[in-house]
Amino acid sequence: MATDRMPGWVRGLLYTLALLVLWEGVGQLRLVAGGALPPPTAIALRLFADWADYPNHILATIQGASIGFVIGNAIALAAGVLFVLFPVTSRVARGLNVAIYALPPIAISPILVLTLSGMAPRVVLAAIGCYFVTMTATVVGLSQTDARAVDVVKAYGGSKWAVLRLVQWRSALPSILSGLRIAAPNAVLGAILAEFGGGGRWGLGVYLLGSLGRGEPDRLWGIGLMATAIAAFAYLAFAVAANAITGTTQAVTVPSSVAKAADRDRPVWQNATIAAASVALPFGVWMLLIWALGVPAMLAKSPAGLFEYLFLMPNSPVAQERLLAALAQTLPMTLIGMVAGLAMALGLALASQIYPAIVRAFMPIALVTQTMPLVALTPLLVLMLGRGYSLILWVTISVTFFPAFVTMAQGLILVPRAALEVPRAYGAGILTQLRLVSLPASLPYLFAATRLTVPRALLGVMIAEWLATGTGLGNLLNQSRGYLDYGMIWTVAVVSVLISVAFYQIVVVVEHRVLDRLGMASTN
Amino acid sequence: MTKGSGITLDRVSRNFDSRGRRVEALREVSLACPPGSLTALIGPSGCGKSTILRLCLGLDTPSSGSLALNGLSPADATRAGMTGVAFQDAALLPWRSVQANVALPLDVLGHSVSAHASKIAELLDLVGLKGFEKSLPGELSGGMRQRVAIARALVTAPEVLFLDEPFGALDQILRRQMNIELQRIWMETGATTLLVTHGIDEAVFLADRIIVMASRPGRIAKIIDVDLPRPRDRSMFGDPRFHALEREIAEALDGH
Repeated sequence: MATDRMPGWVRGLLYTLALLVLWEGVGQLRLVAGGALPPPTAIALRLFADWADYPNHILATIQGASIGFVIGNAIALAAGVLFVLFPVTSRVARGLNVAIYALPPIAISPILVLTLSGMAPRVVLAAIGCYFVTMTATVVGLSQTDARAVDVVKAYGGSKWAVLRLVQWRSALPSILSGLRIAAPNAVLGAILAEFGGGGRWGLGVYLLGSLGRGEPDRLWGIGLMATAIAAFAYLAFAVAANAITGTTQAVTVPSSVAKAADRDRPVWQNATIAAASVALPFGVWMLLIWALGVPAMLAKSPAGLFEYLFLMPNSPVAQERLLAALAQTLPMTLIGMVAGLAMALGLALASQIYPAIVRAFMPIALVTQTMPLVALTPLLVLMLGRGYSLILWVTISVTFFPAFVTMAQGLILVPRAALEVPRAYGAGILTQLRLVSLPASLPYLFAATRLTVPRALLGVMIAEWLATGTGLGNLLNQSRGYLDYGMIWTVAVVSVLISVAFYQIVVVVEHRVLDRLGMASTN
Repeated sequence: MTKGSGITLDRVSRNFDSRGRRVEALREVSLACPPGSLTALIGPSGCGKSTILRLCLGLDTPSSGSLALNGLSPADATRAGMTGVAFQDAALLPWRSVQANVALPLDVLGHSVSAHASKIAELLDLVGLKGFEKSLPGELSGGMRQRVAIARALVTAPEVLFLDEPFGALDQILRRQMNIELQRIWMETGATTLLVTHGIDEAVFLADRIIVMASRPGRIAKIIDVDLPRPRDRSMFGDPRFHALEREIAEALDGH
C-alpha cells in the first residue's frame, strides 16, 4: 500500500484530515442526537464569536494549573529523592502515596473550596494531579541507574549524595521529563475540576459549568476543545524538551503503581511498625492540615468528627441511608464500566498483535484522549447520549479504555518477536499463538492497566453523576454542597478515597498472587 | 616506586544469606600482594574473585577477617584517593565527554579538575585517545571505551589499582592488543595491581603471580608464580614456558 511508505506524521495528518471531513459531514447532516455533534466549522465560528470571553477564562485556568504544576512537582521531586535515598521513608509514605494516587479529584474539590480560598483550591488539585506521576517517575529514574556507574563513584568513597549528584539525577532526567509530560495535562485537569467545585468567576471550568444548562452544543464543544488544546500543548512542550535531551522518542506510559525503592530485610516487628505508620500517616496528614488551616470544626471534619456525624448524631441513620443508597448506585456502575473498558482494551490490544495497523490507527487518538480533560468530555457526551445510565457507562468506558489500551498495546510490543515465532514455527495458527504467548504475556500489563483505571473509573462515574444523571455519590456530593451539609461532603470525599484505595489494594494483592505463581514480574 | 605494604587479606570470609540458605562466597581467604606487583585472580564463576575486589574497594564488607590497602582500611584508602578501578564494562556516564568521564573520580574526591587538566590529557595520550577528548562514549568503539575506563582508573595516580575483567567484553584479537598496552601503562605507573580475569592467557601474560580460585566455598586453590621476563611482547604468546604455565593453570582450574 502507498500509505506504508509515508512518514508517520504525514499518515497522522491524513487520518486527522479524514476524521475532520467525516465529522463535518456528520455534523452538517445533524446525524448525532439532533445536532449534539456540531460540525467543526460551526464550532470554529462559535469560538470566534465568543472569543472575547475566552482570554480571562483561559488565563485563570492556566494560572491555577501552572502554580500547582510548579508546587506539585517540586514536592514530588523532593519526595522521590527522599524515597530513594532513605528507602524506609518510601514504605512509611506508601499509604499516603496510594491515597493521593487513588483519590478522585472531584470528590475533594468541594472540600478544598470550603477550606481554602481564592486560587488555592485550583492550585492544590493541580498539584495533586502532578505529584504521583512525577514522584513515581523520579523514583523509577533514580533507582534504574546503571549499577556499574554507581559502583565507580562508590569505589572512590563517594557518599549517596555524590552518587545522586554525579550519576543518578542526570540518568533519571529522561524519566523525570516523561513524568512531567504526563503531569502537565493532569495539572490542567486538576485546575478545571477545582473550578467545578465553585469559587471564582474565571476559568474554563466555570465557563463550561455556566454554559452547560444553555443547550448550545457548539459553545460547549469550543470550550472542551480549548481545554484539550491547552492540555495537549502542555504535554507537547515537555515532549519536545524530553526529546531534545534524550534524543529519543519515548512511549507514553502512565505509572500506575507505587514505585518501591530497594530496601533491606527487616525484622517482623519493624515491618509491622512501618506498615502501621503507613496506614496512619494519611489520617495524620488530614488532621494536621485541618489544624494548620485553622478552619472551624463545623466546616472541617476530623476523623473523629466524621465518625460522630455518621454514627452518633440524631441524623446519623438518615445520613447512613443516603450514603448507602448512593453507593448502591455508584459501585455497580464503576465495576461494570471498568470491566467493559478493560475488556475492550484487552481485545483491541490482542487484535493489534495480529493486525499491527490497529495500533498505528488508534494510538494517536488514544494519546489525544489521554491529554483530554474528561470534564470537558462529559458535557459533550451528555449532549449526545442524554442523561441516562448509558451515559455513565460510556463516560466510564471512555476514561478507562484508552489508557488501558495504551498500556497493554505498548506492553505487548515488548513481547520478543522470537517468542511469537516459536509457536508459528511449529505451524500454530494465530489463535493458538495468542493463547500460548500473547495472552499470558499481556497479563502484567492487564494488571497495570487495571491499577491505572481504578481511580479513573470512579472519577468518571462521579463526574457523570454530578453533571448529568443526578444519581449516586457524585450527585450526593453536589447536593450536599447545595445544602451546606458539610458532614456529608466530607463523608463522600473520604468514602470515595477509601473505596478507590481498597479497589487498588485488591488489584495489587491479586496481581502479586497471580504473577508470582506464573513467575512473572509486575510492571514498574 | 610505590610505598606502603600493598594489598593484604587476612582470613577474609564473606557469606550471603538468602531464604535460609547460606552461600559462602569466600572462606578464610588470606592473600598478600607485594607493593608494585601485578596479581591476577582467576577462577570459575562464583568463586568469589569479584567479591574480593568489591571488598577491597569498600563496596562490600567482609563477614569476618580484615583487609588493608597500604595499611589502611578500604574505606579510608578509597576516600584518600589511593585507589583506582576499572570494571568489566566501561561503565562510562553517557552524558559526559571522554575527558569529563576520566575526571569523574576527581569530582567524587572533591579534587580540582582544572588542576589535573594536563594529567588528563597525558593519560588520554597514554591510552591512545588523543583527539577524542570531547567525544561522547556513544561515539566510541568498545575498545576505545575500555581505554577511557583505564585512563579513568589512573587519573588519581593510584597506588593500588583494581581491574575487574577490564577486557572481558572485547574480542580475542583486540584483547591481546589491550593486554600489551596495559602492561606498558602498568610498568609506567608502578601501581600495586589486582586483576580479575577469565582469560588464562591474559593472566599469564600480565601477572607476576596468579591466584587460582575454586568455588563453593570460594577459596584459593593454588598460587602460581610467573617469572617470565618483562617487558613481555607479542611473541611471548607463542613461548613454550607460556604454554606450560597456561597448562598448569588449566589443570589447577580442573582441580588437579
